Amino acid sequence: MKIWLLSDYDHKKHLAFKSMLARFSAAFPETEADFSVKSRRSMWESLFSHLRDPKRNPLADVIEIPQNWTELFSRLGLLADLAPKVEPLARKRYPDFVLKELCRHDEDRAFSAPWWLEAPALFFRPRELEKICREPWDELSSWEGFRAALDRVSSGNKKRNFRALAAPYSSGAVCPADVLPRVWGRRGGLFSDDFNRATFTREETAGGIEDWLELAVSGKIELFSPDRFENGPRPADQCAFIISSRKPAGQASRPARPGHRQAKAGARQAKSGPGELKVLPYPGCSAGGGLVLAYNLAVSAASGDLTGASAFVSWAMEPENLRPFAESFGVFPCLKSVFEECLQAEREAETYRKIFSAPELMPNIMAYPTAELLLERALWNLSLKIARRDYDREDLSRELIMAQGEADYLLSLY
Amino acid sequence: MKKTAENIYGIPVGQAFDGGRDAFLQAALQAVSDRFALDGASFYEYDEKTGLLRLRLRQASGVAFEHEENFRPSPGSAAARALENMQATTASSPAGRFLYFPFRFDSSDPSGGKNSVTTAGLIRLERSLRRRRFSTGEAAKADAFLRSFLRDYYKAEFFSLTRKYDKNVSAITELTEVFATALRVRDSFRHILAGIQTYFGFDRVRLYLIDEKNRKLKGELSADIRGQIKSISYEEIPLEAGAHRFADIVLGRSSGAFMERYKDCVLYMPLSVQGVTIGLLIVDNLLSQQRIEPQELAMLKSFGGQIALAVDNARLFDKVEELSLYDELTKLPLRRFFNQRFQEEFYRAERFKQPLALLWADVDHFKEVNDTYGHQIGDVVLKEVGRVILANLRKIDFPCRYGGDEIVILLPQATGAEAQRLAQRLNSEISELRIAVPFSKTRELKITLSIGISTFPADGATIEAMLEKADDALYWVKSHGRGKIALYSGLAPQRAAETGKTAAGGGAGPSVN
Repeated sequence: MKIWLLSDYDHKKHLAFKSMLARFSAAFPETEADFSVKSRRSMWESLFSHLRDPKRNPLADVIEIPQNWTELFSRLGLLADLAPKVEPLARKRYPDFVLKELCRHDEDRAFSAPWWLEAPALFFRPRELEKICREPWDELSSWEGFRAALDRVSSGNKKRNFRALAAPYSSGAVCPADVLPRVWGRRGGLFSDDFNRATFTREETAGGIEDWLELAVSGKIELFSPDRFENGPRPADQCAFIISSRKPAGQASRPARPGHRQAKAGARQAKSGPGELKVLPYPGCSAGGGLVLAYNLAVSAASGDLTGASAFVSWAMEPENLRPFAESFGVFPCLKSVFEECLQAEREAETYRKIFSAPELMPNIMAYPTAELLLERALWNLSLKIARRDYDREDLSRELIMAQGEADYLLSLY
Repeated sequence: MKKTAENIYGIPVGQAFDGGRDAFLQAALQAVSDRFALDGASFYEYDEKTGLLRLRLRQASGVAFEHEENFRPSPGSAAARALENMQATTASSPAGRFLYFPFRFDSSDPSGGKNSVTTAGLIRLERSLRRRRFSTGEAAKADAFLRSFLRDYYKAEFFSLTRKYDKNVSAITELTEVFATALRVRDSFRHILAGIQTYFGFDRVRLYLIDEKNRKLKGELSADIRGQIKSISYEEIPLEAGAHRFADIVLGRSSGAFMERYKDCVLYMPLSVQGVTIGLLIVDNLLSQQRIEPQELAMLKSFGGQIALAVDNARLFDKVEELSLYDELTKLPLRRFFNQRFQEEFYRAERFKQPLALLWADVDHFKEVNDTYGHQIGDVVLKEVGRVILANLRKIDFPCRYGGDEIVILLPQATGAEAQRLAQRLNSEISELRIAVPFSKTRELKITLSIGISTFPADGATIEAMLEKADDALYWVKSHGRGKIALYSGLAPQRAAETGKTAAGGGAGPSVN
């Protein structure tokens, strides 16, 4: 059985999967399982290559996909219906906000099983804000408040290697994962609510994108960072703010089981006091309704071992396998009971409850993944301009108008 | 002995590329990590135009993984120096100890293109600060190892380009054959689209043809990435400037900016024959947003003339076929086509013991219509009758203009009663028709049909017998007042009664329907 895993900026995910797979192989020695890690782009290309020439480009049996690729690839006939084979799917044991997108068009069938999810949040170091922010919980609840605090932190700190803001998941250029949480915060989106037209240029959407681009234009985040290339991601203790959807190392949940080694280490670090990171909802989303990203496991409809592949997905969904995997790289499991347990176990459970109040996933409709690619291309062009310092607000308008035109056209086709 | 890394270090770098380029890269990074006790190794591609390094593959902690990150090495940094001087360079930073190994090779385009293809990049070997530095000797060994591996990589790249070129050459040969045979096969357009999809595999291919008469661009067929072909006849675009992008393209007025944006994943190909545009072929990778290779674009463009010719020929072929099989006036099939179909249906009815009905209709007083109002009005009558008939039939029914004003309709799986019901419906609708006759006093003309019906097996056990019995029934109607319907098997008692009456001094004919 071959498994394709989506690559992650945090190598811990790959290692956690490797160890999970080793446990699976120990439990089921008769099943030969092997995995490879594909970038999002490479995964996308591989799926389309299979459509073009299935014989030359076989798919893996189990494939990890962003949840909102499900509709597209199931409609293209690539994914098997897992509902009859994966018990949590049959019994809908997932939070409602996850099920809403998974079963958008079909209540009875499910072409992927939600696996893990993450919610962008703002982490801050109270020590760095002592003098500039009296009530961080209030002041940082809005984008404007966050933005003002960011300015004050930047100008007030002369420490070497200090960065006011870090986005550890950055791929170098501004990408959809950067801007969409802010777009959601402004109640924007790539399509209208009825999915009849693209809304890239709508004020809420364009404004959300512009808010993030402004961070790059003003140098608050560095594009194509040479520093990151040479020194790796900036350590958390050198940053005042971190925008991330992962709990940083040391922010682990309270131990799930007494003596759990990882949780103990997290608690130790967290107790270290002044260096501790606090978490807040994404600026502008303090009342809930923020964007959540979910990743699912799917089984190829062309798999020669549908039963074995489905059995692996079922096994991966078992709480004792799911929870350690998700915790190992600071994300949440999708299974409702385990998700609730993890929320409960959070040291900052209250904040996370806020983050997960009325969350929204990206729409699981056929044209959405391509619309994200269109946005990605626009953001890439803009990132190059920003890096060359010849960016203008008009460039954003132009790129969004073009992307919107393409997305509208796409909607008319699919 | 040739100096290769394998010979020098016993590491099999020259492995086959069967698993693909990525698998080869992964194996190489794994080998170099093992050989030089690394904590990590990364493979970057370098875009000389933007000055960006793109991480493609990384190997760390025994796991190889693809990843995408883009960086710009700072000027004067070890990586920048390595790229500038094309020499391996070592560096240390708080993040670890590094050996940067740059590479760059130009390969000629195997298709004979003038431009060479450049592949440039950087391989970074990584150790944590706890581990030893890269010594000069180690750097030299790593350099030899990586050069050997890159030679293989270069070969793999070239091999893959050559394979692509070979594929294109065979596509040219086979597509030429496809387009040439398109004329001789049924569903020619399908054949052409399927051929294009087989060899190119686009997300979609769509064919539009110009309807000159109505000044429209009409959708014909669309083939998707899975090769499924469906009709897009519901798409009709007015052929006017500004009405639609496709119309603008066909009229040569498309917007440059828009086309520029789409050029990587859409090709709009107006189809022209002898300088006349007959349609538009659109291929796109819009859904996947994958770039259509310039080579593929060029090849498809070079096929443009052939595709246009094949499409035009197929269209002419259809037209000729239509003319030989269908009556232009009534749009009903002609007798030759009907006879062929009758045989098939009769055979099916016989074999599966299914009923079959034959309806023979005649426009009442048609000769008088022609003589009184002229042939133009006669044509209008036939046209209207044809329209009403076509609008009332099931998909499996088969009508035919048998000759003059005689129309026969084959009704597979229909009993006599069902045939009578259809005949009544036709009669009723046709009797409501009002044909405008401008120069007559009445200003309009009413028409009626006489219809005779025969059925299998009740009335006839052969094709000839069925035709004969339907004609008999029609004759009976004609000779008994017209505008009615007679089922042959229902006539026997009436005929018998008539014969008796005749013998007894005559009387009114039987009332049929």
